[in-house]
Amino acid sequence: MRIIVILGRVLDPSGIIVKGKAGRIFVNREEYILQPADRCALEAALRLKDAMGCEVVVLPRTLMPDDDVLRQALARGADRAVYLQGEGPGEMDVGGMTPVLVAAIERLGGGDLVLTGAVTLDTGQGQLGPRLAGALGWPQILEAWQVNVMNDAVRAVQQRNGSYVTVEAHLPAVVTLRSGSLKLRYPDGVRLINVYRGVGEIAEALMAWNVTDLVAEDVLHPQLDHRGRDFPPDRERGVRVEGTPVEAAQAVAKALRQRVRQ
Amino acid sequence: MDFTLSPEHRALRRMIREFAENEVRPIAMEIDREHRVPIEVMRALGKTGLLGVCFPQEYGGMGAGEMGYCLLMEELNQASTSVATNVGAHIGIGAMAIYLDGNEEQKRKYLTPLARGEKFAAFGLTEPGAGSDAAAIRTRAVREGDSWILDGGKVFITNGGYADIITVLAVTDPALGARGGITAFIVETDWEGFKVAREEDKMGIRGTSTAELVFEGVRVPHENVLGKVGEGFVTFMKSLDMGRLTLGAACIGGTQMALEQAVRWARTRKQFGVELAHKQTIQWMIADIATELEALRSLVYRAAWLVDTGQPFTQLAAMCKLYGSDVASRAINMVVQIHGGLGISRDFPVECGFRDARIAEIYEGTNEVQRIVIASNIFREHGIRIRP
Repeated sequence: MRIIVILGRVLDPSGIIVKGKAGRIFVNREEYILQPADRCALEAALRLKDAMGCEVVVLPRTLMPDDDVLRQALARGADRAVYLQGEGPGEMDVGGMTPVLVAAIERLGGGDLVLTGAVTLDTGQGQLGPRLAGALGWPQILEAWQVNVMNDAVRAVQQRNGSYVTVEAHLPAVVTLRSGSLKLRYPDGVRLINVYRGVGEIAEALMAWNVTDLVAEDVLHPQLDHRGRDFPPDRERGVRVEGTPVEAAQAVAKALRQRVRQ
Repeated sequence: MDFTLSPEHRALRRMIREFAENEVRPIAMEIDREHRVPIEVMRALGKTGLLGVCFPQEYGGMGAGEMGYCLLMEELNQASTSVATNVGAHIGIGAMAIYLDGNEEQKRKYLTPLARGEKFAAFGLTEPGAGSDAAAIRTRAVREGDSWILDGGKVFITNGGYADIITVLAVTDPALGARGGITAFIVETDWEGFKVAREEDKMGIRGTSTAELVFEGVRVPHENVLGKVGEGFVTFMKSLDMGRLTLGAACIGGTQMALEQAVRWARTRKQFGVELAHKQTIQWMIADIATELEALRSLVYRAAWLVDTGQPFTQLAAMCKLYGSDVASRAINMVVQIHGGLGISRDFPVECGFRDARIAEIYEGTNEVQRIVIASNIFREHGIRIRP
């Protein structure tokens, strides 16, 4: 069984300050981390590997300027990783990447399960899973908390309306994981050093493919055009409501009425 | 000259930082209050391979060199000096003595489980009558057939209360003293005759075990002699050189933590209508801390580079320990001042940092001993051998 995990990176939020009034984002420390939801997808795959001994192959979410996230995944226990090289790193959106990833999966010899993060931290988009499932013609389970494989099916736990439900789909399938659902394990020290130093077996597990070898060049274009960035308006200060619950409720009702009149 | 970290060291730093933030910082105040050794953290560190960070991969280590070890101490000490001290005693002096002078069989048998964190190490040097004057030890080892019989006691042994393996220094020929009469042994703590007599109740590094150890007729096989008979003093001094360097690295972490606490407080605390950050008195303190921190980091990283490239480093290791502990103490003292009354409140990490920083001026050779080491190296270059 082969599990394909798709991982992306995001600018470490602890290294940036957003100043709405100035209309700018100040980057104090430019460091990238794994997308939080993708971390959960990787952990889910590694747990399945621990339990069933399957192969875990990692692909990047988009065209990235370096292969750091792939090395991080290999250090944590992934078996293979493919770095996709191409023009315009970081410019490729989900629409443009979907055919590239589908072609990469085919070139890998197919897969039984694709795992990726449900929603990205920076752009808030959650389309990669559904688009891939559509393009591959596989069933999808979105925003899962847990993933298990039983016989020819994948079983996942989702949260709906405050309760947990278990859903099942036949393999092959695409499952997206919610951010915070699983704690990603720490890298193995020896694998980490060797994969970054480029020595030993683990270093050979990192391959590089050119995207133009996977899809025709006319397919390789982003479907969205970014024309700028805007900040939401400042939030007004809240009002603290005091008193008994009845008094507080009356105060809230009064405040709401006044706001409607305004 | 290249001042950037290699890709593997950058990745290693990120890994350690993540570990320290998730597993160490949340329990730092608790282990200090409860005077508890966080053995679960030590085991978790072992599982990731970090307890063998600087040892070769063939002995269960990571092979990240002295630079990797410095990064481990720096990052851990930002979160908890107690955890860094446990790790420093385990890797930097306990296991290090076996790595430096152990034979192949000893490295396979003892260093490998230590590097993997399956067992824990301590370094048995100090005695009631032998602190800075390490050659004045009285613990005695007498040859009896294929074994040595160990009798005596050690005090202030970090990790002593829970270590599985202790490197112990003992007198094997009183007539020769430090010049051929002192031998190092590898002792397993489940051997008959070994016992932990008491644990110190300390002002700082309360999440560590500092124990008094007793050896009553402990039978040590001859194969557990570390290095050559009579040359144990040299083995221990070499181990201390390594320990001193990385103690300097730990002090980078302590100073960094102090600086961050100072900046955080100066940004939020208002006096006379403005944040403390706008007060020149506070700015000068923060500028001084940041400058000394940067100087310390350069010194320690250079010393680590000397080790990793096989060059002599004893002089710089003593400077790392001396300057590092002074910088860390000065920094945390100023940061307590910046915090005012809250600086001595147990609700703030600076209070714990203040108590934890003091020991760095004392252990692994007091700062006065470091000055002797540094001065004697300088005079030796000029043909003068200074007398103790």
